[in-house]
Amino acid sequence: MRIVVAEDLYLLRDGMVRLIEAYGHEVVATATTGPETLEALLAWRPDVAVVDVRMPPTQSDEGLRAALAARAELPGLPVLILSQYVEQLYARELLADGTGAVGYLLKESVFDADQFIDALERVAAGGTAMDPAVIAKLLSSGSSTRRLDRLTEREHSVLSLMAEGLSNQAIAGRLFLSDSAISKYTTSLFGKLALTDDDNSNRRVLAVLAYLNEP
Amino acid sequence: MKTRQVTSWAASAGTGFARACVVLVLSMIVPAVWAAAVALAIRWGAGNPWSWLPVALVAPVATLALSRPVCRMFRSLIARWTDTVIAPGYRQAPPVVLMSTGYWWNGFSYERTSRDARLDQRWRLRWNDPANWRDLRFTAVVPLTAGLLAAIPPAGVAAAALGMAQPAVPARLIGLAGLALAVGSAPYAWRCVEPVAVRFLRASPAMELAERVDELTAQRADATIAQAAEIRRIERDLHDGAQARLVGLGLSLATAEKLMETDPEAARALMREARAGAATSLTELRELVKGINPPVLNDRGLVDAVRALALDSPLEVTVSAHERLRLDPPIESAAYFGTAELLTNAVKHAHATRARVYVARDDTGIVVTVEDDGRGGADERPGGGLAGLRRRLAVFDGTLDITSPAGGPTCVRMAVPCASS
Repeated sequence: MRIVVAEDLYLLRDGMVRLIEAYGHEVVATATTGPETLEALLAWRPDVAVVDVRMPPTQSDEGLRAALAARAELPGLPVLILSQYVEQLYARELLADGTGAVGYLLKESVFDADQFIDALERVAAGGTAMDPAVIAKLLSSGSSTRRLDRLTEREHSVLSLMAEGLSNQAIAGRLFLSDSAISKYTTSLFGKLALTDDDNSNRRVLAVLAYLNEP
Repeated sequence: MKTRQVTSWAASAGTGFARACVVLVLSMIVPAVWAAAVALAIRWGAGNPWSWLPVALVAPVATLALSRPVCRMFRSLIARWTDTVIAPGYRQAPPVVLMSTGYWWNGFSYERTSRDARLDQRWRLRWNDPANWRDLRFTAVVPLTAGLLAAIPPAGVAAAALGMAQPAVPARLIGLAGLALAVGSAPYAWRCVEPVAVRFLRASPAMELAERVDELTAQRADATIAQAAEIRRIERDLHDGAQARLVGLGLSLATAEKLMETDPEAARALMREARAGAATSLTELRELVKGINPPVLNDRGLVDAVRALALDSPLEVTVSAHERLRLDPPIESAAYFGTAELLTNAVKHAHATRARVYVARDDTGIVVTVEDDGRGGADERPGGGLAGLRRRLAVFDGTLDITSPAGGPTCVRMAVPCASS
């Protein structure tokens, strides 16, 4: 995969480039400021971009804005946001255009290199990779809670993992259950939530999140 | 045209006469008390020193007791008749607090019971309050100025009534003159009360400045205390949390290094532990940073930060705001933490299920209103969250209005004067 890394801290940028290259992917460009990021994304059209939220010159949400601007130019450009903190508001903004191929993870997710690269590949393939912290907040907040009451505890955890962007197989791995058991749970929870099933993982996550965002 | 002018003049003469009578009666209340006391003393025997006791004792006490209600009446009448508003400016009593020693502290002294503490506080406030001395001064001045002028129309009417009743022609003429005087002066006689009140009842600019300096001194002390407490909290959180965890991390790594040769399996387990520890201390640091300066507030400003709060709240929160506004960072942060605290209160104390937050700008500053559908009954206890919030807003000259009848709903309005950029 051809990857663009946008991160202003030298140590982290360097570490990430090494990690990505160690897994056999190619880093085509790096950027250290918001405008540079936008430029690199538009010029290189990478298979996936790793972008930090907070970057110079203003040290506010430059990176996120650059990513959103690039996606407005190139719809569906895969972007994985890596941030020091996860914020529902930003996650919702990323998901808002409904084209998928987005991820929003905490920076320490690079500690677990396998999962980080897995998330990168998922986003590049048009799927999503959301941080469990975001999903937990989305699932617990306000309006949708009452309708989620109908789910069993097991179905609830399957739904959280599905909303993170994992495939049935990956969910089975995380929960130490068989594939067939997971598909049973997904069928029953799709039924309870009245969502149409679809084997495209991206559409599946978007359907879940759209359901959660309903007022 | 002419008749209309005459009727309107007659109407203003009528209201003027009534107002003059009110001013006369109000301003003569205190002199009447003194006159009654003197009359009593003379009746009991002017030579007996004991008979002057009412004049020496009762009349001054009555003056002290009456000056405040009389002045309050004058202020409200002047505000109603003219557009001049005269602020009372009485000092507010600080809350009476039960100390851990069992004594009550009222801001001045320790007392054994809360009743004593309140009584003591009331007398001290009365004695020290410049507004109180202004009231007394006005009570003394007003009978000789506005009171005398306001007496003209009623006196004219009295002269007319007495003079007309006499058969003699000169007396009747005097009565007629009295009537003319009463009718002619009626629309104007009461008006003197306004300039007199402005001069003697309103605080002088110097006094207002002195009051303001006292207020600012108190605010500065509050700000210093709040800041020191905040720094202590941050220090404690760092010391107990991230710092301790990093020490543990170092220890695990040192042990792992030692075990690497002899027991690689145990070393690997320790490394895993260390990684988990690093992740936990990151989480703790993140929470700490969020408590000092929330990242969204920093990135996007108040409105989006409040939206982010709304998303994180277990309540169903709707946020209404007209524009994306950027304010001075300290004010923004005060408004943000205030909103966060109010939403927390709505969940924890009011057991609300939904809330509305309005963020708006007006000519003077920023106004944030938080309403919930909870059970209400929020009260502002000294040392409690709401009192702390009021103190934090007061640092910026901000105000806090709480409407929270028992049974709900609660509506809290925070207003901070500022100029937005």
